[in-house]
Amino acid sequence: MQTKDINEQIKWAQINKDVLRSMENPRMAYWVAVGTCLAMLMCAVVAEIYQYQVGMGPANLNWPQMWGLYIATFIFWIGMSHSGTLLSAILHIVHADWRKPIYRFAEAMTTFSLMTAGLFPMIHLGRLWNMYWVLPYVSDRGIWPNFRSPLVWDAFAIFTYLTSSAMFLFIGMIPDLAICRDNAKGWRKKLYTALSLGWSGTDRQWRHFRKTYLLMACFLIPLAVSVHSIVSSDFAMSIMPGWHVTSFPPYFVAGALYSGCAAIITLFILLRYFFRFEEYMTIPILEKTCKLTFVIAMAWSYLNLIEFAATWYGHDTAAKEVLWDKFTGPYSPYFWAMLFFGSVLPFTLAFEKLRRHLPTMFVVSLLLNVGMWLERWMIVSPTLSLSYHPIAWNVLWPSMVQWAIVFGSFGWFGLLFLVFVKVFPSVSMYEVKEMVYHRRRAHVEDQAKYFHRRLSDRQPATDTPSP
Amino acid sequence: MSKHRIMGLFSDFDQAFAAVADIRAYKIPGVSVDDVTIKSPIEHPEIEEVLGERPAHVPKFTLMGALFGMTFGFLFLASAQATFLVQPQGGKPVVPLPSNIVLTYEMTILFGVLFTIISFVIGSRIVRKRDTLYSEMVSLDQVGVLLEVDEGKAQALKDLFKAHEVVEIREEVVR
Amino acid sequence: MSLKNILENWSNYRRDREAGGHHEYEHMWGMAIDLNKCIGCNACAVACYAENNLAIVGKEKMTKKQGMHWMRIERYWGEPDLDKLSQSSSQYQEHGANFLPMMCQQCNAATCEPVCPVAATFHTPDGLNAQVYNRCIGSRYCSNNCPYRLRYFNFYSYYESSWPAPLHLQLNPDLSVRDKGVMEKCTFCIQRIRVAKDKARMEDRVEKEAAVIKVGDSTFRAAAGRGKLEDMEFQTACQQTCPTGAIVFGDMLNPESQVRKLWDGHQVSLGKTKQTKQNPEKRGYRVFEALNTDPCVMYMERVREV
Repeated sequence: MQTKDINEQIKWAQINKDVLRSMENPRMAYWVAVGTCLAMLMCAVVAEIYQYQVGMGPANLNWPQMWGLYIATFIFWIGMSHSGTLLSAILHIVHADWRKPIYRFAEAMTTFSLMTAGLFPMIHLGRLWNMYWVLPYVSDRGIWPNFRSPLVWDAFAIFTYLTSSAMFLFIGMIPDLAICRDNAKGWRKKLYTALSLGWSGTDRQWRHFRKTYLLMACFLIPLAVSVHSIVSSDFAMSIMPGWHVTSFPPYFVAGALYSGCAAIITLFILLRYFFRFEEYMTIPILEKTCKLTFVIAMAWSYLNLIEFAATWYGHDTAAKEVLWDKFTGPYSPYFWAMLFFGSVLPFTLAFEKLRRHLPTMFVVSLLLNVGMWLERWMIVSPTLSLSYHPIAWNVLWPSMVQWAIVFGSFGWFGLLFLVFVKVFPSVSMYEVKEMVYHRRRAHVEDQAKYFHRRLSDRQPATDTPSP
Repeated sequence: MSKHRIMGLFSDFDQAFAAVADIRAYKIPGVSVDDVTIKSPIEHPEIEEVLGERPAHVPKFTLMGALFGMTFGFLFLASAQATFLVQPQGGKPVVPLPSNIVLTYEMTILFGVLFTIISFVIGSRIVRKRDTLYSEMVSLDQVGVLLEVDEGKAQALKDLFKAHEVVEIREEVVR
Repeated sequence: MSLKNILENWSNYRRDREAGGHHEYEHMWGMAIDLNKCIGCNACAVACYAENNLAIVGKEKMTKKQGMHWMRIERYWGEPDLDKLSQSSSQYQEHGANFLPMMCQQCNAATCEPVCPVAATFHTPDGLNAQVYNRCIGSRYCSNNCPYRLRYFNFYSYYESSWPAPLHLQLNPDLSVRDKGVMEKCTFCIQRIRVAKDKARMEDRVEKEAAVIKVGDSTFRAAAGRGKLEDMEFQTACQQTCPTGAIVFGDMLNPESQVRKLWDGHQVSLGKTKQTKQNPEKRGYRVFEALNTDPCVMYMERVREV
């Protein structure tokens, strides 16, 4: 059984070769994937053009329910963006070196899901063409946005987070881009020469690099937490029953980490399979990610229960009614599905046999994210369907326009990610080298036999002295 | 007298550090460890120990950026709100502290990050032409030790490198 | 300079709700609706459509709840007496419905205002929640945060379909026709308010002195130079049309106004989350005032025999 995070005897030239190979010669499957993503994206583009021309009517929204899947999916993508950078930063600060082979694609996932998420507040605007009015720019008319609005906080938070996480991804990638530059030809050579900013690996550069990277990691942890807290205040700052919940910020952050971790597992398995990254994205690393996901899943379940209990034992009858409606009302199938996918299914992650079985983990991670998407929908819609005023009680099924745009957003994300993995190294070469370097130094052949083994493993030969 | 720039490429990192340690111990008179530039494929905190303390001023700029972001952020928001009296809102003060705290927090981080990046780009002298003694092996798995010495000391330095199993020595003459 | 502005006026800017914030009022428009008098005829809603250029969306969109009725008559039935209902041939209760005419409550601590990202909805010196159509970008947060659900969104462009020629000639020229993507709601017929205020100013009917006026528990700083309008100098469209006179509209800052007298008479006051009535028999109440929205519309409960 494979128990080591990485084979420390791997040759450095092999690392370069494996990763650089993954960026070249796209196979048929790659082009099929690109085509599929483009087709999905086109669904959204067509729907959005139609909606832009006609108005928000075809989205099947109405005056009791002004928000629908757009905002739910917005939160979903924002949440997805949380794991990559946040986990990478936390694990970097605590020197957990198993992050090194997997953080690059996770951070790319962060950036791209943010770029997807950022589209939704725009798409859902009634007058998309005036969206820049949310930004605080100096205008001749002396008009400013309303800084009290959580939507303006969103704009600030997303801008800050997108800038910071994209820079975090980019700065961390500079030494790798230098490797690419040294090995590339043609347009790639020009691209990497420009992007690697003249990196030559001098001690001055590394010194500044290390400090910069650490400082950015320090900034990104509170930033990521604040971003999803701010997104949660879109709801928590309102007075609607079921939204006006004090525990929403931690609940949202936990949900964000949860869906992000699940997405990391999905992409981990895909990259491992298609790019043959078995040497780097190893089963023990997957296992660690799975354990982390399990912990976060339990935290999320706990916060869910807290919310239920606080509502149930509270005196807010309207909120209680909304909660009861979630359990029994028209949205209850989705609500129970969310609870099943979010709180029951993660128990598969608690079993080693299942954790190590890639197809199971692939399906489970996808279903976890289905659960998390349902969670966001179950935040938005039931409250709107059952607000204070009885005349406005109404159940709404989203129209095809909404579904098409939500569907297409996955295509857009997939497209960005597919371009990324072929243009940029999706495994951090220099950091895998660091990992290998340090692990090789700590490696003692005789003792290694005794470490990292299970009862079921074959006993080591008896003549070796015990450590 | 012309100056020579010499880079020795080592595949064994320990040997490279030993070479630097020798320079540090003034094995070659007149060549100081302060002139050494190490080119490395990975990040070594160990390097610092061999090279002695060398400054990196990034954290100062980060602090400056964060403080600037905080003050600028709050003053920007408050001045915008104070000049926008045309639109008061029922039951709310003109300069609402709770929401300004949220936004000031974001601005603090934004400017902290931006200043960090700028100071990184400037401080690490990164955006400039790579010097000609760059070897592609440095981005693979070898460590380069680069020095600029007088002509007379070039041979001694090369001997020192050779004593530490140098793989390749590159040299150029600068006026 | 804005910075100077802040430093000099800081305490002013931080002023709390009781003093109306950094805000000098000219009027405080309010309403009182007697549900005993309401017969549910919907004439007010029709008048509102005519006065305010409300789009007629058609049956299909109306059933999808995409209508634009700023004024709506809500119907509520009490708990049905099933025994009686089974004996009678009608499917409705003996008493019929209770009617509740609902229009924007012009809250003084409105929930819609602080959430608008572009400040398209704000509080005017007249105590109204104004909606600036030109500024609205259609994020629809205000509607989601309105407990009364009294904001309506232009889901489509209606200006071509709603008023086929020659109906476009009956559009009110005093206010705009809204295009798609814009939120709108009852304005208390702000165009009529404007006309009356302008007229008062032209006739030099102004209060020279600033004043501090107490309305119930709320204190308002009234600006100097505010128009001195007669009570009932003008009417809102719904008030004008109501056949039974159930709707009374007026300035709460004017102690002589009918609406103020009704509020005082029913011991309902602004600035409270719970009314403390000397006489619990008084019928006045405000909708959802426990949410601290501080609405400016008072309803007088319907009294029915059992």
